[in-house]
This record gives sequence, structure tokens and C-alpha cells, in this order.
Amino acid sequence: MGALTDKYCIVGVGETPHMRPSNRTTLSMACEAVKKAMADAGLEPRDVDGMTSYQAGDSTTSNHVATSLGMRLNYSVDIFGGGSSTEALIGNTIGLLEAGYCKTMVIFRSMNGRSGRRMGGQAPSGPVPPTRAAEDNQFMMPWGWTSPAQRFGMSAMRYLRDTGTTTKSLAEIAVAHRYHASLNPKAVMRHPITIDDHQNSRWVVKPLRLLDCCLETDVSACLIVTSRERAYDLRQPPVFIMGGTGRTMAPNSAWNYSRPEIHYVAGNYGRNRLFGMAGISQKDVNLISCYDAFTFTTLIQLEAYGFCGKGEAGEFVKGGRLQIDHELPSNLSGGHLSEGYTHGVSMVIENVRQLRHRADDACPGWAEGTHSYDRQAGCRQVKDARIAACLGWGTETMSSSAILRGIAA
Amino acid sequence: MPGPIDYSKITITPDFDTVEWWMGTKEHKYLVRQCKDCGHKWFPPFPACNKCNSMDLDWFETAGTGVLHSYIVVTQPILGAFVEAVPYVVGLIELDDCHEADGSLVRVGGVMLDDEEDVAIGLPVTVEFEQTNEANIVVPRWKISGTADNTWKFSE
Ligand SMILES: [Zn+2]
Repeated sequence: MGALTDKYCIVGVGETPHMRPSNRTTLSMACEAVKKAMADAGLEPRDVDGMTSYQAGDSTTSNHVATSLGMRLNYSVDIFGGGSSTEALIGNTIGLLEAGYCKTMVIFRSMNGRSGRRMGGQAPSGPVPPTRAAEDNQFMMPWGWTSPAQRFGMSAMRYLRDTGTTTKSLAEIAVAHRYHASLNPKAVMRHPITIDDHQNSRWVVKPLRLLDCCLETDVSACLIVTSRERAYDLRQPPVFIMGGTGRTMAPNSAWNYSRPEIHYVAGNYGRNRLFGMAGISQKDVNLISCYDAFTFTTLIQLEAYGFCGKGEAGEFVKGGRLQIDHELPSNLSGGHLSEGYTHGVSMVIENVRQLRHRADDACPGWAEGTHSYDRQAGCRQVKDARIAACLGWGTETMSSSAILRGIAA
Repeated sequence: MPGPIDYSKITITPDFDTVEWWMGTKEHKYLVRQCKDCGHKWFPPFPACNKCNSMDLDWFETAGTGVLHSYIVVTQPILGAFVEAVPYVVGLIELDDCHEADGSLVRVGGVMLDDEEDVAIGLPVTVEFEQTNEANIVVPRWKISGTADNTWKFSE
């Protein structure tokens, strides 16, 4: 186990609605998310003295959020990055709290991911005008190979060839995450879908269809981390951080495509650190959030983090294994495929709520931890949820992760 | 063959590490970086050898031939330059003459001149150079150059 296992806790979570469009600034949305997370934890602005965020040149800063909310911070830093950032910043935060740089830290992401800068690269009005191909993009953009779907599609295609997996396995993931979204009042896409719906959806870039791709939404989402001793005095059952990894790289990470296997992803290099630090095995995990920028990213991470063998994920996901009440429920909020897109924070938030036994679903008593487990009635609380693995993804060659433990079940 | 690509809608911006590569394409050379000290080859042209850390580097002129390792078929254009080109195939090409004893190799991307129906993983490909409407920019394209056993095609 890690020296700091269970010593720090996630004590507050909050987010804005997923909007399309928000008609708001990233600063305004971030203030709302941080306020909600503080209220959730039972913290006042004066109790928070650390703040960190990540962005891609598309967001506000900790400086502006703290100023707007009347906080004086002892530590703040904003980093560059996308999907591999949430769990990496949890790791940073543990180190900072342990070293005494601050006592209670906010982690947030705020993005107009649909109405502002779209990660898919497409402007709201259609294909984008003249574009600058600089740095690595010199060797991708001129060949019309730019968006995440186009980049990850290359690895997905080779994976299908090497393993014999078909796109029906990708469909299983889309169906599972959408089913969970149907139980989440906050989710953008709530109509359940079938394997056939996936197979009949239009191509975006072969081998990926529309229903293989995540949503793009305007949203801010926030986590608050503090020490175990402080957590005991706060409003919610604490969720303990057992271990994690931060932006673990595969070899040759800046050019995935010359690696021997372009679908042997970074999680393979983080797996033993993650489970070793947490002191548990995959069998101990009750639920996961498995980064679903695309169905394929979820699929490949199941192998990378050892939930199934190499090349076996296509079979593993069949029969609803990733759905609630089955062996390994994944992305209980609906994930980025169906709830909305936050570059990872919302997946950790959902796991925190599940581990508190307080999934915000249709059960009248959810806020007190009373659930019916009746899926027809809209309950999405995983029964006896104790341990959740957060499996982040940045690219094939970069990923972050965390294992969380609750005490409410 | 895919429709025309409007390169005027992309501003290719070479930097100090890459400008010689783009000059190479003007002479119809497909270059990769090579270490003068240990002979290692790589691409894109990062400025140090990741085997021996030498920064004393050369360029290796490849034969411009390889094997298709993977591909995608873009049906929805993202860049303005490719609006007329869809559907087009981007190939990932494993270069023939960059294999090293320890298994390291070089793969590069490029737009195929062939249509989706003719493309399969495992087929041999060769480079062709396309003059763009920007006088200084010549872009490599790739085309199927033969047949092979054990090819694989994506089927819906
Ligand atoms: Zn060398």
C-alpha cells in the first residue's frame, strides 16, 4: 500500500448542468461548480486555501475564480491538459496537502466544450476555416488526420484487425453507458439505445460511428480534497483516495504510431502502480469509470488496467457486463458518451456519489442514502458500492487513474 | 480517388526541427531523422536520438515504400481543406527501410490516393508527391503498389 493511502479524501463535488449552449463565461460556470462543491462538503470560502484546474487555452483561471468567490489562496496552479488531468491533479493535491502547502484544495474544469472551443475541432457553423499546422500537427493536419476520432480511429482499426473484435463490442459500451444515463436526471442523452441503434448510426470516421463518440457540452465540474481528519467534520461521508497514477506514459508517447502495438496503451504501464498503491486487486473493484471519449477508449482500458486479458475486451463487454447489477458497472452517470463532456471530472464525481451511497437519482431519499435499487423506478445506486476505479485517458500513450473507497455501503 | 484537397486552407508552419523535412518533400524525398552516432531512425523529427541521446543528427532518405499498418476512412470533414475530399482514406504506413535489429520501426501517416474499396491492411504502398497551391509546400501522398497475402479489410 502507498504511504498516503486513505489519508486524503474527496469531500465535496459539484457541477453546473450540461448545457448546449451555456451562454455563459467559463468563469461564471466555474464559480457555480465550486460553490456547489463547497455547499456539498459543508465548507465556506474561507475554508478553502488551494485551487487547481486544467484547460486547453479555453478556460478561466484559479486566480479569477478565487477572486470572484472571495477566497484567499495559499496555493494555486493551472495546468495545460485534457482527459488525463483529473486523477493527475488528485495526485498533485495529495502531495501539496501532505507537504503543507495548503489544507483544502479545489480541483475544477470549466469549458464551453460545445459553444466555444470544440475538442472535435469543428466550429458550430461547420468545418473550420484556415488552420495552422504547427509542431506535431505538421505531420497530421496536412493529411486530414486531426480530430480525436480520427486519431484514435487509427488505433481502433488496428485493434479490430489484431483481435478479431467487431464493432458490436463497441456497441455494448454505448448501450451500457446510455442505459445508465437513462437513470441520471442530469444526463443530456437519456433515451435507451440498442446494439442495432449503434450499428445503424452514421459514420464519423470508420471504424467509429456517431454513437461511438462522446457528446460535447458546456459545463464546469469540481472536486474538493482535504485530509482525513478534516473530512470527519464535514457534511458527507468521506471518500478515501487509496492510490493513483498521473499522466503515466507509454514509451515513445509523443508519436504513438511507431510503437510496436499502437493499441497497447499507457494504462498497461500504470496498472501495477495503481493497484499496488491501493493495496487491492481488480476483483475488489465494485464499479469503474472508464474514460469514454469514445467507446473504443473504454474497451481498450479494460485490458490495460487488467480487468480482462489482452485482446479479450471485445468478449468481456458482451452480455451487459458493464451495466448496473452486472459484474463491472461502468460510468454510472452515463459518462462522456451520454451524460456530457467534462474532460474526466464528472466521472470521478459520479464515483464519489456512488461510494457515498448518494447517487442523485429518482429515489426520494437519495440525499440521505436511501435507495430502492429499482431500476424501473429510476434508481441508479450500485448496491454495496465500496471501491471504485477511475480510469482516465488522455491518449493511447498517456493516462491517469485513481482508486477510491467509500464507507457508506 | 478522393476529391481535391484545398491546401490554401491549412497553413503549414515548419519550425527549426522540421524545415529541412519540408524542403526534402520539394525534392520528392521522404526523409526521416537518423542519428549520426548510433544509426537510429525516427519520425517526426524530434531533435534528439532517444536511443543514445545524441543531438548530432542527419537525414535518411527512405525509398518511400512501406506496408499499410492501419487506416481510417474519413466521412465527415473536420478541416475546411478536406470538405471536397471526403470520403478519403488516411493510411498509417510502416516504412520498409527503417526497421532496426531491436524491433524499432517508423510509421508515418498520409492521405491515400486510393478509394476505400481498394485499401487493406498489409498491402504494399508507395509515396507520390503532390504540389500544393502554396509554391513552397509539397505534400506526400500514398498509393497501393501491389498485392499481398493475409491482408485485412474493415467490414461493416
Ligand atoms: Zn543515437
